[in-house]
Amino acid sequence: MTVTSTSIGRSLLAAMCVVLTIAGAPAAMARPARAGTITIGFYGPLSGSSAAAGQDMLNAMKLAVNRVNKAGGLLGKQIQLDAQDDQCTAQVAVQAAQKLVIDGAVGVVGGYCSGAAIPASTIYHRAGLAMITPAATNPKLTAQGFNDLFRTIGRDDEQGLFVSGVINKLHAKTVALIHDNTVYGKGLATQTQLSLTKKYPNIKIAFFDAIVSGSKDFTSILTRIRDLKPDVTYFTGYYADGGLLLRQFEQLGVSGQFMAGDSNNDPTFIKLAGKYAEKALISTAPIPQLVPSAAPFVKEYTAAYHAGPGAYSAYTYDAASVLLGAIKTAGSTTPTAIVTAVAATKNFPGITGPITFNAVGDRVQIQYTLVTVRNGQFVAARMSM
Amino acid sequence: MDTFLQQLVNGLTVGSFYALVALGYTMVYGVIRLINFAHGDLYMVGAFAGFTLLSSFGGALQHLSGVLLIPIAFIVPMATVGILGIVIERLAYRPLRHAPRLSPLITAVALSLALEEGAKLIWGASFQVFPSILPTTIWHLGGVAISAMQVLILPVTVGLMLVLYLFVGRTMLGKAMRAVAIDQDAAQLMGIDVNSLISLTFFIGAMLAAAAGVMSGAFYSEIDFNMGFLIGLKAFTAAVLGGIGNIPGAMLGGYVLGLLETFATGYISAAWKDVFAFSILILVLVVRPTGILGERVVEKV
Repeated sequence: MTVTSTSIGRSLLAAMCVVLTIAGAPAAMARPARAGTITIGFYGPLSGSSAAAGQDMLNAMKLAVNRVNKAGGLLGKQIQLDAQDDQCTAQVAVQAAQKLVIDGAVGVVGGYCSGAAIPASTIYHRAGLAMITPAATNPKLTAQGFNDLFRTIGRDDEQGLFVSGVINKLHAKTVALIHDNTVYGKGLATQTQLSLTKKYPNIKIAFFDAIVSGSKDFTSILTRIRDLKPDVTYFTGYYADGGLLLRQFEQLGVSGQFMAGDSNNDPTFIKLAGKYAEKALISTAPIPQLVPSAAPFVKEYTAAYHAGPGAYSAYTYDAASVLLGAIKTAGSTTPTAIVTAVAATKNFPGITGPITFNAVGDRVQIQYTLVTVRNGQFVAARMSM
Repeated sequence: MDTFLQQLVNGLTVGSFYALVALGYTMVYGVIRLINFAHGDLYMVGAFAGFTLLSSFGGALQHLSGVLLIPIAFIVPMATVGILGIVIERLAYRPLRHAPRLSPLITAVALSLALEEGAKLIWGASFQVFPSILPTTIWHLGGVAISAMQVLILPVTVGLMLVLYLFVGRTMLGKAMRAVAIDQDAAQLMGIDVNSLISLTFFIGAMLAAAAGVMSGAFYSEIDFNMGFLIGLKAFTAAVLGGIGNIPGAMLGGYVLGLLETFATGYISAAWKDVFAFSILILVLVVRPTGILGERVVEKV
């Protein structure tokens, strides 16, 4: 038998493929929770266009876990944080959820994009795990009727109601609504449209259409809006598009006020919009920098990460604190006991204010506000009209 | 009327990017009959090369005056990516030159993924904000807003294409390139160095993609590892629309696609933007596979 050098090369290559496949396997296999620790899960966008927001959430989560671990942990055990990337897509979020369930997480905090959080929530629900989201705002999430799903942030129908009030206060006659066809973006635009038609039938919605997220050039759609001369243009989508949209809005000379939904409340929005950032009004749940009770958190966060917290960092910290508190009250790491304890949360002293969940798991009494940009920072917008 | 003119400006801007990237597709296809699906990713690498250059040395380069800064910001990434184009051809495509046509095509897809994942490892998964190097002045002529950058993009694009067209049509090297495109073996027998000519083709194509990448970074200011994927497909559509393998065709296809997409977005619906673009691809492939300017290709038996 003669063996040529090419066939050696080929068999070597094949062997290498097999070895690599096997080497890759253990990472995908079940990893039982380490004895002597309690695993809690986190999921959010750690890569992709919303990665900055996801990282800000994870950073806050780490602070909450470290604080408990330094004080001796819970039930005599240390807390282990298991963070998974959901890339803001449904598919990856479901995989991340399955991974967390297999890893033996006893409860989960996470979900930034509603489009990823909703499918992931069904996996957690099936496993009976408590999931507390600090950032996914679509009403459908809690409307699923899951007893183990909670939210430390508001809902988009509440935000839509708030925004329609702002639009009315701005004495707007015509409004343009732009969304990005995501569950969050389209949901918030639709909720705003509903509130406007119901409460202020005199305000005309002159435009309702979607951009293609990530396409960078929005001049064509903005030229169409410029023709309609709306008094307010409200964009519901994520900051990676929002910053560019505002810049092109101003460069094209579109008239009226530019407003954007809470996902534009991110430092990267300011970087992308450049000098035009100060023209924006952004509707959002209160950001930590503007909540007095969150001041120590802002200080701790800035010291640890050399940058200010993101819009959802404080809500993540609160969600983690609620979950960790529930493990303590339950006195057990059984998921059902933890779910019961989280559901019973009443006036929990969160850094974003007292936290109480209603029957479906939504946080009661969350107030939306308006922010704008001054000197490269988000500040409260004063409504002087 | 203002709206129409504004959309025309918008469409020409978008079209310039498509045209520049489409040129690389068409050149490589013309010479070695390969659809280089990694071409869009060279555009992305070009943008990141510019980004790295401008943010290294503590961003010192950004303080240079525009006359110096703009050529540096373009030439360095163009040369880097041009060399990358040669390396890619040498390592990935040359060994497969006589393999069945499907093999280099699959290699191209793999290469595209490798470049994207490589960029993700080097520059991170989240997007980066490109430093602003070009003037941001905006003129309002009647109801039409034109930025200084838009005024620059069109002549730069058309100029580059013209140089390329003349190079291929009027110089000895261009003639040799055309000879290689027609018959590699015969060209070799005539004493033409086929390998270096193919390398040159990749070098020029990659350079143009890098120029488009830097321009896109400076113009839109948002760059990410995935940015080459969609524009790669769009530029491919543009090249097919104009007649793949044909240089003026790629230019024409780029502008036609940019304008069609913009007007469809402007007058019908923005949410369907990519649907319009890719419907055109399907239509052209069905109705006139050789594109607007392409000649009928006789399949070699």
